[in-house]
Amino acid sequence: MHELSLAMEIGRLAEERLGPDVARCVAVGVEVGTESGVEPSALEFCLEAVFSHPPWNGTKAVLTRPHGDIFQVTWFEIEEDDRPQD
Amino acid sequence: MTVRKIEVRERVMARNDELAAQVRARLEAHGIAAINLMSSPGAGKTTLLERTLAELAEPLDIAVVAGDCQTQNDADRLAAHTGRLVQAIVTGGACHLDALQVNDALDHIDLDATRLLIIENVGNLVCPASWDLGERARVVLFTVTEGEDKPLKYPKMFEKADWVVLTKTDLLPYVPFDADRAVQNCLQVNPRLQFIRVSAMTGDGMAEWFDFLRRSVGPLARA
Repeated sequence: MHELSLAMEIGRLAEERLGPDVARCVAVGVEVGTESGVEPSALEFCLEAVFSHPPWNGTKAVLTRPHGDIFQVTWFEIEEDDRPQD
Repeated sequence: MTVRKIEVRERVMARNDELAAQVRARLEAHGIAAINLMSSPGAGKTTLLERTLAELAEPLDIAVVAGDCQTQNDADRLAAHTGRLVQAIVTGGACHLDALQVNDALDHIDLDATRLLIIENVGNLVCPASWDLGERARVVLFTVTEGEDKPLKYPKMFEKADWVVLTKTDLLPYVPFDADRAVQNCLQVNPRLQFIRVSAMTGDGMAEWFDFLRRSVGPLARA
């Protein structure tokens, strides 16, 4: 079950990248290559667990399955506050 | 509320690979060869290492890092065969060792007095294959009480390996294991694989394993 380690690493690198924005991150895109040795449904389950705890806020994981051994985070969606800054 | 999309390309294994490169550089700086020993649970990693330490711990200046989910039983078993430090890593349930754990373990080892580092990974044919630990060679133990089709069932482990050690060969007369077919299956997954057949119980084939280890090491950095 190394998918839990992988999910935690995704959480770690996202927090590093997003900083305080992490709490407003609504979705994370992850490419899980068919030859990556990572089981997508197990990873999805583990990401759900990681993303349900602070600083995450029920963030959704969106997994895609390209060919090859690629395994990477490809995008983050951040909810922006549209209220005018005064 | 609007949603802003940030495009990134961050390999999930990037941090482990950076740490593995650090481990590799540390070992290279001390002229240490490292072997990552992997297998299913019960394939005989610890017994093979017990015999290895009894014979070669001093002549090859071997240090061992032994990983287990729980307990340091293996490290204790190994320590009984050598006066040299056997560093235990208890993963607390995790199914593999990672480069950070190995890097931390190196802090406890006298690197100047070591020529060969053997890393006994957690018994598991799946997860350890994905984690580079900074090793020079990957050795998979494949025991004759397993099915010959293990390499086909767990291809990544065998794809990433350099050597396969067929263990417990003393049991061959009692099990329906076809060693030649097992080797064929390994080669089907990874044609570069090399093989050693051993019985740590009877000592059969151990000379070949010891030769492999002797060929792996260079002179002591401090010498």
